Amino acid sequence: MHAAVLEMIYNQRNEIKENWSEKMTLVRNDVFKEKVPKTLFQDTNEEFAALIFNSFDAELEDGRAFLRSFAEKLIRMGWPLSYFTKGMQTFRRVVLESISSGSEIPSKKMYETFYEIEEWVDEMVNQLVDEYSGSWETTLHQQRLALKELSAPLIPVFDNISVMPLIGTIDTERAKLIMENLLDGIIEHRSQVVLIDITGVPVVDTMVAHHIIQASEAVRLVGAECILVGIRPEIAQTIVNLGIDLGKFPTKSSLRKGIETGMELTKRQIINV
Amino acid sequence: MSVQSSVEVHTEWGIVSARQAGRNLAKEIGFGSVDQARVTTAISELARNIYLYAEKGEIIIETIEQYHSSGAKKGIKITAKDRGPGIKNIREVMEDGFTTSGGLGAGLPGVKRLMDDFDIDSVVGEGTVITAVKWLR
Amino acid sequence: MRIPILKLQQYLLISVQVDLDDQTALQFQEDLLNKIHQEGSAGVVIDLTSVEMIDSFIAKVLGDVVEMSNLMGARVVMTGIQPAVAITLIDMGIILDDVPTALDLEQGLEKLQQELEE
Ligand SMILES: Nc1ncnc2c1ncn2[C@@H]1O[C@H](COP(=O)(O)OP(=O)(O)O)[C@@H](O)[C@H]1O
Ligand SMILES: [Mg+2]
Repeated sequence: MHAAVLEMIYNQRNEIKENWSEKMTLVRNDVFKEKVPKTLFQDTNEEFAALIFNSFDAELEDGRAFLRSFAEKLIRMGWPLSYFTKGMQTFRRVVLESISSGSEIPSKKMYETFYEIEEWVDEMVNQLVDEYSGSWETTLHQQRLALKELSAPLIPVFDNISVMPLIGTIDTERAKLIMENLLDGIIEHRSQVVLIDITGVPVVDTMVAHHIIQASEAVRLVGAECILVGIRPEIAQTIVNLGIDLGKFPTKSSLRKGIETGMELTKRQIINV
Repeated sequence: MSVQSSVEVHTEWGIVSARQAGRNLAKEIGFGSVDQARVTTAISELARNIYLYAEKGEIIIETIEQYHSSGAKKGIKITAKDRGPGIKNIREVMEDGFTTSGGLGAGLPGVKRLMDDFDIDSVVGEGTVITAVKWLR
Repeated sequence: MRIPILKLQQYLLISVQVDLDDQTALQFQEDLLNKIHQEGSAGVVIDLTSVEMIDSFIAKVLGDVVEMSNLMGARVVMTGIQPAVAITLIDMGIILDDVPTALDLEQGLEKLQQELEE
């Protein structure tokens, strides 16, 4: 950018920043309908302003890194892109107002100055849009991976028989994921019998039992059957002590027994060799 | 930024259009197939209750947003409004199996479980407003 | 609108292709019972693969039609209930535990065969 323009912005930076912050309250109403806490909004504006002023003297690469981390922050907070674009437009307006009111720049240079500022704003917005879309993709990708790990896979063992090993604590959120996985897996593999293996579940309380019972009811609705396997002694104790009724639920002591029952249900027998 | 649609319910067709509008919006803002079914079913229950118990009313479906320092939430909000007889005992109608029409009595308690937020505001003789929200995860 | 009811030997096959509205559901209940009576059918498969939503009203109509058919001596198996539909039913506390189910039409027919042999 033209040295005189940079100098002007630099000299008046306090005033520009103040004007800008004030005008940003309109953006808060417009973009967020006041649903963002005031202090959070102000703090973010501070960072935004620092980013803008930094972009004037920092090396290009540094500026880019700063912009990237700001973009990541906005994404993490779920703020819309329009916060950034409107912020930049507001900044441009404030700078242009200062320039036209002051006499630092000879009027014949005015047009050139406008043009330069315009270009600079466009460049910033373009860069941020780039960062925004790039980071979005990575964030989504990471979330998907995390979800996959959290939710148990359905493993087909024989035609029509699958096993779902549950590992770790089961809260409501995970239970929902597991249920969806289970049902989708049943459709995909055309499983008639699913063995739910709870060997890896550390605690079975009323809540967990409730989730398991619901899963088995849903499994029945899509047209398959559940057998519960892998009940450790202490789990059997808590189930009875808590008065949880697993009466309707076929259970087997081991995976192998479960598979045998599954085979009978699907009219097949394990042939001893 | 919020999308809103309103469907009059005074015939059975109102029930069908309300749930179609709900399904479309739920799909548009990115709900998965299970949550789409949850939202659609909840709308169907509320719309049918209007038709059965209040004769006519309105279903409003809109997107909503909420911002926190930890992130933003987007969701779909259903408002079911009628000027019917109102509900005398709210606790009673929220019990599984309670019905005055020979139904399953699963509608209102069901909507509460299908959605994330749920609220009934009802005055006997004046009408009922039920709101329910599902947040995008 | 009417849902077509097909005949396959001693069985009736119904593939529901749309989300059911109330009138269609009630009409279907009546049509199916009449058809069972006419044909003296021993078994019925209702395939719900294309149905994207079942609310408590439709669930009641379907549960009732199974019970009514049983009274008339016909076994009914429901097939193809989608995962999303199953989950919403469970959320609502509707488990349809008197209704036999199978994954698809083919397995539904097999299940009928087994039940009728017993
Ligand atoms: N909009 C409404 N106005 C008045 N009463 C209502 C309304 N919605 C529900 N109710 C009452 O609440 C009861 C329970 O409703 P619901 O849970 O949907 O079960 P169902 O519709 O099967 O009876 C209804 O039987 C009715 O008495
Ligand atoms: Mg109802």
